[in-house]
Amino acid sequence: MATTNASITIASDIISGVPINISKSMVMRKLGSSDGLEETSGLRTKKFSATTATVVIEQDEFTDTKASKFYMRNTGSSKADFFYVAKHASAAASDTAAVTIGKLYGGDWMLVPYLGDVNITVAPSTAETMTLEFMVFVE
Amino acid sequence: MATTTAAVSITSEDLMPGMPLAINAISTLMQTGTTTGLELVDIGYGKLTEASSADSLHEALGTLDTANWVYICNNSTDQSQYIKVGIHDTVIGNLGAGEWLWMPWNMGTADNEINIEAETSGTIPYDYAIFKSTYTLPAKT
Repeated sequence: MATTNASITIASDIISGVPINISKSMVMRKLGSSDGLEETSGLRTKKFSATTATVVIEQDEFTDTKASKFYMRNTGSSKADFFYVAKHASAAASDTAAVTIGKLYGGDWMLVPYLGDVNITVAPSTAETMTLEFMVFVE
Repeated sequence: MATTTAAVSITSEDLMPGMPLAINAISTLMQTGTTTGLELVDIGYGKLTEASSADSLHEALGTLDTANWVYICNNSTDQSQYIKVGIHDTVIGNLGAGEWLWMPWNMGTADNEINIEAETSGTIPYDYAIFKSTYTLPAKT
């Protein structure tokens, strides 16, 4: 059984005089179990130079409704350019309603549970070259 | 201007035998498409019970297609208890006991609330923080 740890630290001074400091660690486990996740897609990077929506995580590689997770990061530094991230065949915000999760600007990262039932796609906001780093932790 | 940072560390010695994993990243949260830090936050703690169906954690009352961030942690220590996290009718995934998530949220439409639902039995404590570019308070009843 493998052990994979993930920790997050969020610090903010948004509320004057009341600093926000969130620090949590977790062990990535199988659904409803104390056993750790044992499989991964491996850490991948992919360069994009068009705004076309592209599948980066294919649902048919994973078992549905478990406790898989994926990590994703826009490795760039631009705070104007971003990737849409969607749980759908398209990642355009305007026409995919609730399936568009959000936007990753330069340096932004995300780590979320993944049901494994639908593809994860991304769509760059620009045709300028951008690089995405991602990894799936699989049950 | 407020400054909010989010850092992650993911490590494993044995997930990929012979190749220890160490991912470290940090980001500073900005308002949509700018270098101005986020200035709105909603932070709290609650308890979910299995008897209730999915509940809205936060409604999509800000400007659509903007930069917002969501943190949710399942504080249960019972490994059989997990939280389904969704955006409107789309389930993002299952958040197990002791697990957290960090994700962008662009409020693609006005229906795109963040919702959570307890699975299996008992009461599940959770905490959350939502950092926003914009937000409109609900209308008075």
